[in-house]
Amino acid sequence: MNWNEFIYFAIIALFLWYTGVFVMYKSKSKHLGDVLIISGLLVFSGFILALWNTLGHPPMKTMGETRLLYSFFLVLVGYITYRRWKYKWIIAYSIAVSTVFIIINLVNPEIHTTNLMPALQSIWFVPHVTVYILSYAMLGAATIAAIIVLYKGQEKRADYFELIDNLVYIGLGFLIAGMLMGAVWAKEAWGDYWTWDPKEVWAFITAASYMLYIHSPKAGISKKNALWILPLAFILLLITWLGVSYLPAAQGSVHTY
Amino acid sequence: MDRESEIKQKTPINELLIIIATVIAGFALQFAIGPLDLSIISFPVNVVLLAFILSLLAAKPSGTVGRFGSAKVSVYLLAIIILMSLYMGIVAGNGVKTSWPFALTYLLILINLILVVGKRLRSFKMRDYGFYLNHVGLFIFLFSAGLGSADMDRYFMMVYEGQVEWRGQSSKAGELTELPVAVSLEDFSMDEYPSKIVIIDKSSGETFPPGKEASVIAIVGSSGEIDDWEIKIDSVVDKLKFAPAAFISATNKKNDAKLHGWISCGNYFQPFKVLDISETYCFAMTYPDPKRFVSRVEVFNKNGRKKRGEIEVNHPMTIGSWKIYQYSYDSNKGKDSDYSVFELVHDPWLVPVYIGIFMIMAGAVTLIWKGGRK
Repeated sequence: MNWNEFIYFAIIALFLWYTGVFVMYKSKSKHLGDVLIISGLLVFSGFILALWNTLGHPPMKTMGETRLLYSFFLVLVGYITYRRWKYKWIIAYSIAVSTVFIIINLVNPEIHTTNLMPALQSIWFVPHVTVYILSYAMLGAATIAAIIVLYKGQEKRADYFELIDNLVYIGLGFLIAGMLMGAVWAKEAWGDYWTWDPKEVWAFITAASYMLYIHSPKAGISKKNALWILPLAFILLLITWLGVSYLPAAQGSVHTY
Repeated sequence: MDRESEIKQKTPINELLIIIATVIAGFALQFAIGPLDLSIISFPVNVVLLAFILSLLAAKPSGTVGRFGSAKVSVYLLAIIILMSLYMGIVAGNGVKTSWPFALTYLLILINLILVVGKRLRSFKMRDYGFYLNHVGLFIFLFSAGLGSADMDRYFMMVYEGQVEWRGQSSKAGELTELPVAVSLEDFSMDEYPSKIVIIDKSSGETFPPGKEASVIAIVGSSGEIDDWEIKIDSVVDKLKFAPAAFISATNKKNDAKLHGWISCGNYFQPFKVLDISETYCFAMTYPDPKRFVSRVEVFNKNGRKKRGEIEVNHPMTIGSWKIYQYSYDSNKGKDSDYSVFELVHDPWLVPVYIGIFMIMAGAVTLIWKGGRK
């Protein structure tokens, strides 16, 4: 089995996944969607195992191979999260992101758009980035819901509080996981797990802001007032994600991607 | 829970005063004696501090000390550490991470965490495992990474091919020290990405068109367009010790002008060569970016242990309690570098740090699994 045959597996898996999501949204059948998603995962894992067998080592050495695992685990994690929380958009979203990586692998399994510097060539690269993107998606959704409640008044949207809390807890879980994977990776690449470089400082600020939110009810802050933390925390998140390279403190940092 | 809801109503004035006083004391210390010198908390001071903080587990939750373990205090401390971190994240060249106010707030967070855990332990329930994973894990991590870092030693060691080195330059003191680890460098090698062909503005040295990063990869047969020029790579020479060079043909789409010739980025003993387009612009080749650099080494420690293998970025070598990282090489010579620079790190607190990390990681999974449900 080699990369030339990937396209057949990819097309079948994607077809099963997209039909599965369609069925979940449109059909009354309880299990058909699940059967389709799981079948897609099986087809995809079939290729991974066959490739593993051919290579003689787990496929996580090249960037193309890590992207392959990423596209698989993204859908797997998305599906498990969906099964747990019944938010259909989570599985739809993870399949969409997975598609992007499958297409990159089909068009170009080996070469990256830019020359990847040695520090980035790590098995941690993909999971570190993946869980962050998942986390940003959850926390983004929580922010939108919080703004709706703040705008329309909590009486009309009382049912949103549970959703918001769930999204923040799940998002913070992924955020912390991403941060710690980054720490383990930094130890391997730079010899230190935490150096307070600007990206790390901002990642910490973001995580601490969401921690502030989840501790606020215990500190006697009303639910309505605590909601104001979420848009602010999301601004901090956006600075961490996109803005760090433009800050004066980050000039000369190696962690500005 | 009843007592907690009583406490909830009142602002904890005493605790707030303690926090403010501690931060002010931090600023006073900062102005009086300058930034925190981490070495003052190195072993055994940090272990004594640990014993002291752990003893607070016994503090009565309703007592003067125990009340510092309330959720309100946690929220105040989070807010303060966020403000300090914002300053750290915005202002260039700040010294926040080694400043007294930051260090003392960090210490208060450790105390708050241990009191929170102590309070919860008094009514221990198995189903609180998520709470314990997160809070105990965070305590172990913050303590080992913060106060433990005072015991961390790092050295830089430069080794020439075919030679053995056992001295390292300390990152703290800067002086050359004999280490309990010796490294013999058998070979240093490097893979590079192919160079790229670009158009350069000779007056500024910048690529053209500005901000577009337009380039053609210097591999035989590749072709591409930059601005109005169609460029084809006819042949490439890339031999050991010699600078990479490429023969290119370029055709201007607008006026059909044709250019061809050798260009090279040059290296430490060969000059670079460009192909002029006009008085202002020329075709040039970029330096190849490193793809992977590897040192093949044999490592010895004082106990007579020997280890042979390769060290590269993201793949350090562990021998005893030391980790050896690929750090640098002679960047002037690139792949012909005669030496390799290693970073040697000795961190006795690494195991607790990892225990903390994996506890919080498991705690994060419980956050994802349980969501906001109480």
